[in-house]
Amino acid sequence: MTSSKLLSAVLTLLAIALSSCAASSAPSSSATVTSGLTNGSTLPPLSGSNVMALTVNGSLCSAANSQGYLNKPCVSVTICDLTGANCQTIDDILLDTGSFGLRVFSSILNTGLAAALTPLRNGNSPIVECVNFVDNSADWGPVELAKVGLGGEPGIDVPIQVINSTFGNSATYCPGADADPVAAGFNGILGVGLFAQDCGEGCATTTQNKMYYACASSSDSASCSEIAVSLAQQVTNPVSLLPLDNNGVIVELPSVSFGGTDSASGYLVLGIGTRSDNTPVGVTAYAADPDAGEFTTSFSGSTYSSSFLDSGSNALYFSPPSSISAELPDCGNTDAGAAGWFCPASTTLFSAMNSGYSGSTSGNVSFASGNFLSLANTSNSVFSELAGSLSDGGQSFDWGLPFYLGRNVYVGIENTSSSLGTGPYWAY
Amino acid sequence: VKIKRHVYSLLIFVLLAACAFLRTHLVHAALGEDAASIELDRAAFAAKRNASRSTAIYSVEEMVAGLTTIREYVSSSGTVFGVAWMGTRPPDLNVLLGSYADDYQTTQAQATQTTRVRGRQPISVKGDHVVVETWGHMRKLQGHAYDPSLIPEGVTAHDIQ
Repeated sequence: MTSSKLLSAVLTLLAIALSSCAASSAPSSSATVTSGLTNGSTLPPLSGSNVMALTVNGSLCSAANSQGYLNKPCVSVTICDLTGANCQTIDDILLDTGSFGLRVFSSILNTGLAAALTPLRNGNSPIVECVNFVDNSADWGPVELAKVGLGGEPGIDVPIQVINSTFGNSATYCPGADADPVAAGFNGILGVGLFAQDCGEGCATTTQNKMYYACASSSDSASCSEIAVSLAQQVTNPVSLLPLDNNGVIVELPSVSFGGTDSASGYLVLGIGTRSDNTPVGVTAYAADPDAGEFTTSFSGSTYSSSFLDSGSNALYFSPPSSISAELPDCGNTDAGAAGWFCPASTTLFSAMNSGYSGSTSGNVSFASGNFLSLANTSNSVFSELAGSLSDGGQSFDWGLPFYLGRNVYVGIENTSSSLGTGPYWAY
Repeated sequence: VKIKRHVYSLLIFVLLAACAFLRTHLVHAALGEDAASIELDRAAFAAKRNASRSTAIYSVEEMVAGLTTIREYVSSSGTVFGVAWMGTRPPDLNVLLGSYADDYQTTQAQATQTTRVRGRQPISVKGDHVVVETWGHMRKLQGHAYDPSLIPEGVTAHDIQ
């Protein structure tokens, strides 16, 4: 490689906020990553039965549900009853590495399929769940067994949540429950994060968990009581039940240059090191803590010890350290409607360091914040420099969708192993 | 006899109105109320109180309701100036915010109408008298609420969590 080519490569890497190969303790410093990390806008084709198409905005996202929704990663899934007689492929499913399990609006399901799913019961009472998301929004609806198809994988029987705010008394038990896909911004969510169940041991051992309820009926006057639910009956990350590719996923997305683009296409690859198309090469694994799935980000003198990667967060969110807060003024200073977003004078590059929960590995990460008002004035929907503030005073760095652009991000599920280690871990 | 009946009706009406007022303003009250209201929250959440801790400026009363921990911050004058939570689900904010709940609901509804970008994201809702902010992820949702005018000198919003 000539020095000018080298310089250009280095500059390109900087410019697109990539540093996945700069990890200090990577076993190999090779810049080659399986399945092709490219600096362009297109990834090489992948076609295995363990590969699902993924679009950020774009064709797998419903236009009606995506109005004003930036950096929205969508996949499609197939949902069948347990016999496989009634099946339906549903798109506009938000790909979320920050949650666990599949949830889909009942209003999207064909009448025949909706009636043929198998409700889980506590005695005679349907098991109903309320899950909250970070914005205080909530999804409410019964837990039902379905046969779920991911890509070309064999269908697997798994408890899913059928979102339905009119099932039983959501106003009492799940205030603010999303009424429909337009309100939620998606037809459903596929949670493929670090854990197998959405709640875990807490809900298996604690009755008062405020997530799982047994409701007397589906009537809106029905009373519900909190119940403990075994791990097997909790809404479950379907990847964890696949026959071969059950140890995690790889989210593969192309880089997007500053200024953004209208959509981006990549892949959700199922399994880590289980096939030739998902063998990890040139990535560093970062252990996550086994309770919350968090690790540590160090940035400009601050230590964010409750940090996480989350494809379902549509931007990078953090509380700026005081040393750089002047560089990242809040857009609310000039436009009240844009409060909470950053409005630097121009797109600004930063460098942080992520460290595994055990502290054994660490590596630098470059990222950028653009001026939100400038970005929002374009017609684009996908931005690698979308960033805003989080009000916890510097405990957590929420690495949202922009982190995933231009990277292959490995999500290692708890209690499973690959050549990268034993989950929960992230690798990139 | 007729007049008496009217007096009784009036009395019952006043009692019912007082009950309704107390239900919304006392039983469901912590933020902005005195420290005694924390016990009402504990009962509403069926929570277990933990030992309190103190700094020179304020004390922190902690309770655990199932898988969620709730903290209430009490100034030296005995007023709850902030509340915080962490767990699988946020507590019922209609209870925890007490008389501030309407301010929060109204402001959030307006923000939802005018927000420039949708998507799951941490929120910061600044009402006329209350600030409600959230962060976190599934299994560990966090947030806090406070009345900026009640925060004692030497304390910042970041202390409330």
